Amino acid sequence: MGTIDRLLTRRLLAAYIAVILVIMYVPMVIVGLASISKSRFFLFPMRRTSSKWYEMTWDSLQVHESFLTSLTIAVCVALISVILAFFGALAYARYDWRGRKLFQQVLLIPIFFPQAVLGLALQLWFNSIGIQMSWQSTVFAQLVWIVPIVTLVIAIQAYGYDSAVEEAAYDLGASRWQIFRTITLPLLGPGIFAGFLFAVLLSWGNFPLAYFTSGADVTVPEWLYGKMIGGYTPMVPAVGLITVVLGGIILAVGLTINGMLQRRD
Amino acid sequence: MAAAPPILQLRNIVKSFGSLNAVDGVSLDIEEGELFTIVGPSGSGKTTLIRLLVGMDKPTAGDILLRGKRINDVPANKRPTCMVFQSLALFPHMSVGENVEYSAKCKGIGKKERRQRAAECLKLSHLPQSYYDKAVTQCSGGERQRVALARALAFNPEILFFDEPLSAIDYRLRKTLEKELKDIQRETGKTFVYITHSLEEAMVMSDRIGVMREGKLSQVGSPATIYTQPENRFVTEFMGEVNSLPVRLADDGKLHCETLDASFEPPAGMPPGFSRGVLIVRPENVAISDDAAPAGSENLIRGELFNEYLLGSRIQYQVRSGAMVFLIEELRADAVARLPGAEVTLSWQPGDSMVFPE
Ligand SMILES: Nc1ncnc2c1ncn2[C@@H]1O[C@H](COP(=O)(O)OP(=O)(O)OP(=O)(O)O)[C@@H](O)[C@H]1O
Ligand SMILES: [Mg+2]
Repeated sequence: MGTIDRLLTRRLLAAYIAVILVIMYVPMVIVGLASISKSRFFLFPMRRTSSKWYEMTWDSLQVHESFLTSLTIAVCVALISVILAFFGALAYARYDWRGRKLFQQVLLIPIFFPQAVLGLALQLWFNSIGIQMSWQSTVFAQLVWIVPIVTLVIAIQAYGYDSAVEEAAYDLGASRWQIFRTITLPLLGPGIFAGFLFAVLLSWGNFPLAYFTSGADVTVPEWLYGKMIGGYTPMVPAVGLITVVLGGIILAVGLTINGMLQRRD
Repeated sequence: MAAAPPILQLRNIVKSFGSLNAVDGVSLDIEEGELFTIVGPSGSGKTTLIRLLVGMDKPTAGDILLRGKRINDVPANKRPTCMVFQSLALFPHMSVGENVEYSAKCKGIGKKERRQRAAECLKLSHLPQSYYDKAVTQCSGGERQRVALARALAFNPEILFFDEPLSAIDYRLRKTLEKELKDIQRETGKTFVYITHSLEEAMVMSDRIGVMREGKLSQVGSPATIYTQPENRFVTEFMGEVNSLPVRLADDGKLHCETLDASFEPPAGMPPGFSRGVLIVRPENVAISDDAAPAGSENLIRGELFNEYLLGSRIQYQVRSGAMVFLIEELRADAVARLPGAEVTLSWQPGDSMVFPE
């Protein structure tokens, strides 16, 4: 009876996972199908397929520019946020200072703030102090949201090791800089890397903040949105799919590097 | 013995956290080459004191002198002292060898010399040379102790401090490591300052012991002195379980215990002017007998045996007399078979008891 029960449980579990996967990934499959439909509008079942939308995407200057803009923003955001978050995480998790409790709470606010509201607020603020909006202001806007997240990711890593190791190094004659280089940085390494990856992916897929703050510059999600509103062609799902695949590649490469870093220890 | 100057002198050291004086006026001389142990219950300020001595924190008041030089303002990384942490604080991302060589690497010592020094220290702390490349995260608890010790020895400190490094280790391994530590101390001739909350551990290893209580040193002396001539009730009771009787000096010159309605002969060393306080007798100093009035004994108490415990070579009894429970210990070889419920007589020599004023 026990084995039957266990068999049943296993089957139900498998079915459950299958349903979840279908629900999660069917939309992606449909986007994929839509991108190779020969006709402009997607009808199911599809009559004829074509790769022309991919060719057009490849040749489109607009698409090139938006990818470049998105990538530039993502890299800038990731680099700046990792540096800021590194010190933020030390202040968050390591050092005891007056106001630390408040800092820990205030830090969380931008994460839970609705992004459209945050974007609008930043737009109004940029306007009122007379800043010409472009991809740089989007970098700033995304930092407001992403730095706290990366800070938390690195802070978790900082909580994960015994702070006495830094004191031990100090006691063994290491200078502050030697401690930083040989103890703190390597121990926080995996967290910094994960934070960087997080920042790239969050920035890459972010729409609301870019929509409100990028001025004339167009990111990939903005381009997609623009085309959806007016002028839909299967280039939209094509670009969408390319975006997702690129994100997946970044994630996979990142996780592989992370795994290699960890195995070295 | 030639009176060499003390290697470390503490003069009225105070460390306050807000209104709390975690260390409250400690003065102490530590001699070159001795193994000095600081014992005290949890929260008595042991860790706080040792952190001041290695330079991790600064004292609120008082002076620390190393070979006669004031070192209050010398930071930890510039002091020739080193500490083995309660948590060991091994570097988890480094191998055993890298841990041991860390201090040498910081000093910029060459690879070959580092390696050689590491080999010596691994040997001293009984680690096989093959452990050089092992990750510390793969070492067992006892091995990690040894790595921490080797790392500290490699620094070649003038004084080596230990903050209860053995507290998380099982009993038998702890005994082994205690002995090894003592051997290493003898072999290297270094000054060791050891912290523990176990007086037993302190007794086994130390040349001298300082008993700490609420930030103050209650008594400093050799293990034998601390055991035979404790200066106050706290030290006596901290040594282990004892029998404490509330007493008052009666007109007939005897000590009267109201709880038992009995009188006892005072010990010769009763402090002058004593009027009321506690009479303390160690369990091993109480004789237990089946006779109602054993010959040549004073301080007789009748009671009922209600528990016995075997402690290896010794045997321990609990005897109830009136509202009090006495603890008696004797060698198992001397023990007579007794049944719980038996009527027994307890007695002790006045010279084996101690009195402390309230
Ligand atoms: N950084 C600090 N801030 C405030 N109070 C502290 C600090 N460090 C220690 N204390 C207090 O000082 C007292 C002594 O602490 P300490 O850690 O020295 O005790 P200990 O004797 O080492 O105890 P244990 O055997 O448990 O390790 C305690 O009451 C503790 O709460
Ligand atoms: Mg402690």
